[in-house]
Amino acid sequence: MTAFERIFTPTNIIFMLKGAGYSLLIAICALIGGSVLGLLAAMGKMSKRKIPRTIANVYVEVIRGTPMMLQILLLYLGGPVITKALFHFVYTPNPVLIGTIAVGINSGAYTTELFRSAIQSVDKGQWEAAQTIGLSRIQTLKEIILPQAFKRILPPYINEFIVLIKDSSLLASIGAVELLHSADVLGAKYYNYLLPLLFATVAYLIMTLNISHLARKLERRLAESD
Amino acid sequence: MINAVHISKHFGSIKAVDDCSLHIRKGEVICIIGPSGSGKSTLIRCLHGLEIPDSGELYVNGKKIDFTRDTTKELSHIGFVFQLFNLFPHKTVLENLTLGPIKAGGVPEKDAVETARKLLARVGLTDKENAYPAQLSGGQKQRVAIARALCQSPEVILFDEPTSALDPEMIGEVLNVMKELADDGMTLAVVTHEMGFARKVATRVIFVDNGKIVEEGTPDQIFDNPQSDRLKLFLSQVIHM
Repeated sequence: MTAFERIFTPTNIIFMLKGAGYSLLIAICALIGGSVLGLLAAMGKMSKRKIPRTIANVYVEVIRGTPMMLQILLLYLGGPVITKALFHFVYTPNPVLIGTIAVGINSGAYTTELFRSAIQSVDKGQWEAAQTIGLSRIQTLKEIILPQAFKRILPPYINEFIVLIKDSSLLASIGAVELLHSADVLGAKYYNYLLPLLFATVAYLIMTLNISHLARKLERRLAESD
Repeated sequence: MINAVHISKHFGSIKAVDDCSLHIRKGEVICIIGPSGSGKSTLIRCLHGLEIPDSGELYVNGKKIDFTRDTTKELSHIGFVFQLFNLFPHKTVLENLTLGPIKAGGVPEKDAVETARKLLARVGLTDKENAYPAQLSGGQKQRVAIARALCQSPEVILFDEPTSALDPEMIGEVLNVMKELADDGMTLAVVTHEMGFARKVATRVIFVDNGKIVEEGTPDQIFDNPQSDRLKLFLSQVIHM
C-alpha cells in the first residue's frame, strides 16, 4: 500500500473535511462577533465624548500592535489563571470557543477602521437631514448611513473573512479542532506530514478562491445598480 | 415661536455668526439676505441645532433649548430644507417622506403614507412616489425635500438657500411651492439670493453681513429705502436693471 492510499482513506478524508468545516465556522463566528465589536468601536471612535473615544482607541491600538498568536495564548492560558486569582474559579477552557473569541476580538480591531471609514465616507448632509426629521443617531445609522456604507464596505469586508479563514489556523497551537490541526494530527499518526499538509493547502485554496470569486461577482452586480 | 438671543458661532478664528438676535413669530415669512460667506446659512443652521452656537440662547415656544443634551426630538417640529436637498438616495420618494413620521414620530405606517401622498400632491409630484431621488430633476428633488419637511407637521420651516443649487429654469417651480406655503399661512424663514421672492413674499427681510444683522425691515424698507451703506452697496450689486 502506498502512503497516499494509507492516508487518504474515507475516514481520514472526512476527518480533514470536518476540520475544514470547523475552520469555516470559526471564521464566520469570529467575523460576526468582530463586526459587532468593530461597529461599537467605530461609533466610540466617532463619539463626541472622550471616554468612548479613548476606550475604542486603546482597544484598536493594543490589538493591532500585538501578535494575534499572543492574544490567543493570553486568552486561553491566562484566562483560567485570572479567574482563579480573582474569583477562585477554575475551568478548563474549550479551545474552539476561546480561540473563536480571541480571533473575533482581533478581527474587531481591524473592522473598526473599515466601518469608521465607510461611515465617514457617507455625506454629512445625510446625518443632518436625518436629524431634522427627528431620527436618533442609532436610527440614522441603521436606516440611512449603514445601507449606503454597505457597498463601500463589502470588498474589504470579504477580504477580512478570507484573512480569518487563514488566521483560524493559529488555533491549531492551542489544540482547537480546525483544518490545520486535523492535518497535523494525521501527519503525526502516519509519520507523514507532507500529504496531509498538501491536502490542507488545497482545501484552504478552495475556500478562499471561491469566496473571492463570489465577492467579485457580487461587487459587479452592485456596481450595475449604481 | 423661535427666538434666538445674542447667538454667536465661531469656526476657528472666523466669526461666522456674531451676536445675532432673531425672533420668528407665527405666520411670518422672513427672508435672510446678504453676501456669500456673511454667516446667514450658519445663522439658520443654529436655529435647528445643525450648528451648536458657542454662546447665546435659543427658545422654541418659550422653552429654552439645552444644546448640551440631544435636541433632535425637541426640534423635530421645525422643518429644514437644505441647499443640496439631502434626500436619502437609497429610499424611494415615498419612503423619504414617511421615514421620520414612522420611525421618530410613532405614526402608523398607513397614516404616514396617506399624509405623504397628500403632501406629494401639494408639491405636484403624485406620479413620483416610487421614484428614487437619482431619477428626479433638481427642482423635483427640492420639492420632495419640502414635502419631507411638511411631513413633520412643522410649526415653521427653515430654508437654507433652497434654490442656489438649481438650474435657472427650475427655480420658479420651487419658489412657487414656497409661495403657496406662505399664502397658506405657514411660517417660513428663508436664506436666499432670490431678491424677487424676498420682495414679493417676505413679511420681513433681514440683511446679514460679516456675521451681524445689519438691517431689518419690511421688503419696501429694505429694497426701496436702505439705510446702511453696506446694504445700499449690496443691493446695487445684486439687483440688475
